[in-house]
Amino acid sequence: MSPESQPPTPSRAPGLLGSVPQAIDRVSGLVGRTVLWLVAVMVAIGAYNAVARYLNRFTDANLASNAYLEAQWYLFSLVFLLGAAYALKEDSHVRVDVLYGRLGPRGKAWIDLAGTLLFLIPFCTLMLWVSWPSVAASWRVREVSPDPGGLPRYPIKAVVLLAFALLLLQGVAQALKQVALLRGAAPPAEPGRHRPEEV
Amino acid sequence: MTGDWLAPLMFVGALVLIFSGYPVAFALGGTALVFAFVGVEAGYFDWHLLLAMPDRTFGVMSNYILLAVPYFIFMGTMLEKSRLAEDLLETVGILFGRMRGGLALAVVFVGTLLAAATGVVGASVTAMGLISLPVMLRYGYDRKLASGVVTASGTLGQIIPPSVVLVVLGDQLGVSVGDLFVGSLAPGLLLAGMYALYVVGVSVARPGAAPALPRDVRDVPAGALARRVALVMVPPLVLIVLVLGSIFAGVATPTEAGALGAVGAVALAAANRRLSVAAVRDALESTLRLTVMVMFLLIGSTAFALVFRGLYGDVWIEGLLTGLPGGAVGLLLVANLAIFALGFFIDFFEIAFIIIPLLVPAVRALGIDPVWFGVMVAMNLQTSFLTPPFGFALFYLRGIAPPELRTSEIYRGAIPFVLIQLLALLLVILFPGLVTR
Repeated sequence: MSPESQPPTPSRAPGLLGSVPQAIDRVSGLVGRTVLWLVAVMVAIGAYNAVARYLNRFTDANLASNAYLEAQWYLFSLVFLLGAAYALKEDSHVRVDVLYGRLGPRGKAWIDLAGTLLFLIPFCTLMLWVSWPSVAASWRVREVSPDPGGLPRYPIKAVVLLAFALLLLQGVAQALKQVALLRGAAPPAEPGRHRPEEV
Repeated sequence: MTGDWLAPLMFVGALVLIFSGYPVAFALGGTALVFAFVGVEAGYFDWHLLLAMPDRTFGVMSNYILLAVPYFIFMGTMLEKSRLAEDLLETVGILFGRMRGGLALAVVFVGTLLAAATGVVGASVTAMGLISLPVMLRYGYDRKLASGVVTASGTLGQIIPPSVVLVVLGDQLGVSVGDLFVGSLAPGLLLAGMYALYVVGVSVARPGAAPALPRDVRDVPAGALARRVALVMVPPLVLIVLVLGSIFAGVATPTEAGALGAVGAVALAAANRRLSVAAVRDALESTLRLTVMVMFLLIGSTAFALVFRGLYGDVWIEGLLTGLPGGAVGLLLVANLAIFALGFFIDFFEIAFIIIPLLVPAVRALGIDPVWFGVMVAMNLQTSFLTPPFGFALFYLRGIAPPELRTSEIYRGAIPFVLIQLLALLLVILFPGLVTR
């Protein structure tokens, strides 16, 4: 089952290395388990849109609407943006593991720690920093879709900020977990890290 | 101050950092940031270019073509998690079981049909291997043949439409996904046919390598068998044909067909009384994880491409590729060799997002048909995934195969299929008409 249902592993870890990553894991887990149901909603709306567009050819009843069409990609965006932190926690982001796969738990932890600090956290910071002005501008004017009957744009743009904030937070949790592992606080027993696509 | 060396350095740097094993999406994003910083310091790059990232991200979010990705993934995972794929293989196995090599033919058939839906190498090889390998071994199949058939049929899904990688490839090549689906159908079926022919050939030449099922297993009463075929085999076949047919006939877009196919997969599970909350939840969870993986790879690649272009890397690559001796032939040779070699280490999605955008301008400049090019790339990568000792598919099979199946047997079993692949690739290059428009 999910890692958080295991007994709290870093028993010897001091508070920061023990409870903080656990709390963040719980947040990402909760968000991930919530947005996965949006995939089902997305399937339903996508099927509706397909049928509606088809029926529109034969009837005058205008079943298709820009609101539904946009709802489809809004949901898609919510799914992949908000699922990112969950995927990081579950190690689902694809890796090239020709070399990585041969390393022991400590070697892997070093790579992950370096990657988190040098790549992930700076990249999330960058995305937050460059996205902020455009989201703020959109929010100020309460930007709406240019198409008739379309949905408000500003909330979905703000989701980008939320997504990278969650990802950044999960990055911090991963870094703390790796530090704990490298200090020998957590048992390195993490049998068979599944390869990303192997779901 | 000149910074001409920055783009080549960035390209090599990205490859090296990807090989560190850190998730590729963030390794690419991080590389972009590092080289943007170096570029600014060298007075060669303008910070303001990075302000295009929100717009690019928004473009990825509202991309109608990519919406098809979660739909096709869900359709595949739903059929797998509701164990309909397993039933299908068993039924086809019994149907073909009377003849020698029948089980292996069933694997090719089901691989063609179902791997079509997911199109993710790891997922389909794993699923096919878990379901069919033990059965083939139990009934005395030659181990090399059994493992070769599983890996080859599992990777076949990439080129047979509807597949997720073709959706992504169409988006990156700037061609319609429907065209790419149409174009890849004939080469994909050609490959499946050649696999089947090879299996038949082996079972004739070496009957012991691919025995028929024992009587007591295959002797299902005709009525019961007909019932199973009607309930288990026909519906998924109809689903795939409907999905593809609606795209080919121009009735539905790939995104629409994907959404309806996803609903169809749920309906099939329900009709077979396999629809449980657990199965749906598992399928949704897999879909979430795979979708995030693909989309974040695209976001990381977007950041990489943005900075790479800011450093005039696109100009450098296009000059390099269009200036090759031999023009189009030279480009095809270099592109094929590079993609084949990269395919040993990195998966289709990374190649589609990082390498393909770099090749597209040169491909168009030299007047090569991008649809044909896309099909060729897909076939090339599929070959690469099968080629020992690095091929991806072989690792996935190793991961789930019983220990008595030796790695050397997996390698040797793959070789005939690699040769078949190369032959098919050659046919597509020599007879471009195979890729129908």
